Amino acid sequence: MRKVCVEHLKPGMVLGTNIYGYDGSILYEKGYELDEGSITTLMEGDLSYLQIRDSRDKETAREDLFRRCDEYVHEFFQYVNPENELFNEMFRQTLKRAFKAVQYKWELPCAAELRAKNVEHLTDALFIEETRPEEIVKYETELVSFPDIYVQIQEVLNDVNSSAEDIAKVVSRDIGLSAKLLKLINSPFYSLSQKVDSISRAVSLLGSNEVSSLALGVSTIDFFENIPPELMDMKTFWKHSLRCAVYSRMLASRMQGVEEDKFFTAGLLHDVGRLILFKNMPYASVQVLLFARGNMLPLVEAESAVLGYDHTDVGALLLEEWSFPGPLVEMIRKHHKFEDAEPSVEAAIIQLADNLAIASDIPSGGRFVLPGMGQDTLKVLRLSVEDLQELFDMHDQYIQGVLDVYL
Amino acid sequence: MSSLSSNGLGLRKAPSISSEEFQALRGLIYKTTGIDIPERRKYLIENRLGPRLKALDLKDFTGYYQYLTSASSKNQEFAKLFEKITTNETSFFRDLKQLETFKENVLKEFIEKQKKTGEKELNIWSAGCSSGEEPYTLGIMLHELLRASIIGWKINIIANDISPEMIKKAQQGIYTEHTLRSTPQEIIDKYFSKEAAGYKIHPKVQKLVNFELLNLNNPQEVQKVPKSHIVFCRNVVIYFDDDMRKKVLNLFNDKLYAGGFLVLGHTESIHKYSSSFKPYHNAGGIIYQKKDS
Repeated sequence: MRKVCVEHLKPGMVLGTNIYGYDGSILYEKGYELDEGSITTLMEGDLSYLQIRDSRDKETAREDLFRRCDEYVHEFFQYVNPENELFNEMFRQTLKRAFKAVQYKWELPCAAELRAKNVEHLTDALFIEETRPEEIVKYETELVSFPDIYVQIQEVLNDVNSSAEDIAKVVSRDIGLSAKLLKLINSPFYSLSQKVDSISRAVSLLGSNEVSSLALGVSTIDFFENIPPELMDMKTFWKHSLRCAVYSRMLASRMQGVEEDKFFTAGLLHDVGRLILFKNMPYASVQVLLFARGNMLPLVEAESAVLGYDHTDVGALLLEEWSFPGPLVEMIRKHHKFEDAEPSVEAAIIQLADNLAIASDIPSGGRFVLPGMGQDTLKVLRLSVEDLQELFDMHDQYIQGVLDVYL
Repeated sequence: MSSLSSNGLGLRKAPSISSEEFQALRGLIYKTTGIDIPERRKYLIENRLGPRLKALDLKDFTGYYQYLTSASSKNQEFAKLFEKITTNETSFFRDLKQLETFKENVLKEFIEKQKKTGEKELNIWSAGCSSGEEPYTLGIMLHELLRASIIGWKINIIANDISPEMIKKAQQGIYTEHTLRSTPQEIIDKYFSKEAAGYKIHPKVQKLVNFELLNLNNPQEVQKVPKSHIVFCRNVVIYFDDDMRKKVLNLFNDKLYAGGFLVLGHTESIHKYSSSFKPYHNAGGIIYQKKDS
């Protein structure tokens, strides 16, 4: 017998166990052959999956598993241009990995598991009528202040007389932060030829911009707590962000004339506005999640439909308030901008990295719809299908080392 | 078999929709229902409606447009189209805090007032009722408030939706555990009975509610809706553009008695679209009251 999610049932499949009705009666008996009618009934019920009898030959079973994988992965790609060769490649790479994962030990998650739990206990901190992004950010920044270490780094960065050594000194003062930074810099992702054992060495190898930007990013991760777990667990959130960080930096290092030093942090913080929304507007965020899931929309689109603004507005305002470097704020502000008269390479990198990060998470249970990106914006990056394959492979190679540092 | 090495493998699973076809379809849906589909959802529409083209054996979206507008199949196919483009996941006692606010600050007072004047009458319009969870929740709430004295009341909950499929489901009144996830157990025990297909709503609640198919964008159909003391329209205007929102809010204004109440979805606010209502809010959420004119 094998587990099949109700949304993947096909006429002709044979039940491996009895299916009981709500009153305890037998609705369908073991051995019953499913047809269109019974599938519709089952899909309307509460069962998320059924036990289906295995077909006799292995090839048919493998084919059916592949079909289910294809259907599963395709759901997340409904919003992107199906003619675009890069998104097609992204789909194939994702499907390839998902199929490998299910053959190994991963089970395809069922649609019913994604449905909302009881969230009626959540309460928003602000009235929906008052909540423009400005109000939310004001509320947040009045409530809590950013960690000291962050302020100190800012001061050194803004001081024209400060040297690289000063940055190293400030960062070194926070032992936890320094340890994480060194672990990250020594992970295979940075592929430095020698082991880096001090922040000042890191500064001399990567430059003070990269090190200070990473320090900002790392202290931000620790800053956000108390997000209602019904909405999203923090591990899932940061896993996506770290994938995006890795892709962003890899993409940046391939582009001519782009300084790659801020891209890891930009990728890491691209969705930070969402955390502010989850934290202060949890019930409204539930409405967003419901709307997104019900209509198979990317979250960003559901946010603007439900709230009238999205997490890029909130995130950019917050980082501005925290005096993050302007170019970094701009990348985050524009990371979902579809149509741009003159799309910037910087914003295009984060957009593509976001899509790649969502795709890469699908074969391990990621449940978000790819937001896609505008054709003109994508073109700016001049990537080939082969480039994309390489990026996927490199991500797979490096991601664990990076996740180990943070999560 | 379809193998990973085959070149055919890709995103294209449905016939492609051209820009002109998309605009035509978008215009038709908007004209008929007031539902606005943003340009960005073009590929989503292609994917969602693809299976309809296949089922009807149509080769492209121009064919589908013609099929949708041909007199014989019009209404039936529109019904199918709605199911594909609007999926409203709803549940009993959705937005509990707002409902509590409504009960404590609006409904109780209203009932007292009506009792005093001897007009024991209450009309509620649930506009966009989906599969019936909202109007039945209101019915249960009234039973809980009035208890046995409900017999002396003339209660009419008019519940409408644009989808025939939803109206059919609502009339059947059979629900899954999932839609009851935020309903207290004692309410489930009291107002639902278990059947093979699910939890069946009690007939005494069912008889308070009248379900009817209705398109909020169709003036003739809307005209038939009686005047109400309270209008519920939650998570519906989200599908409308600004013009349609204004239109619908005007309509609610017309259909409410002076001093009547309007309840919208948690994130839906109206100050941009109408000045005929004043907001009443506390921690639970916002309820609008029609201004005395």
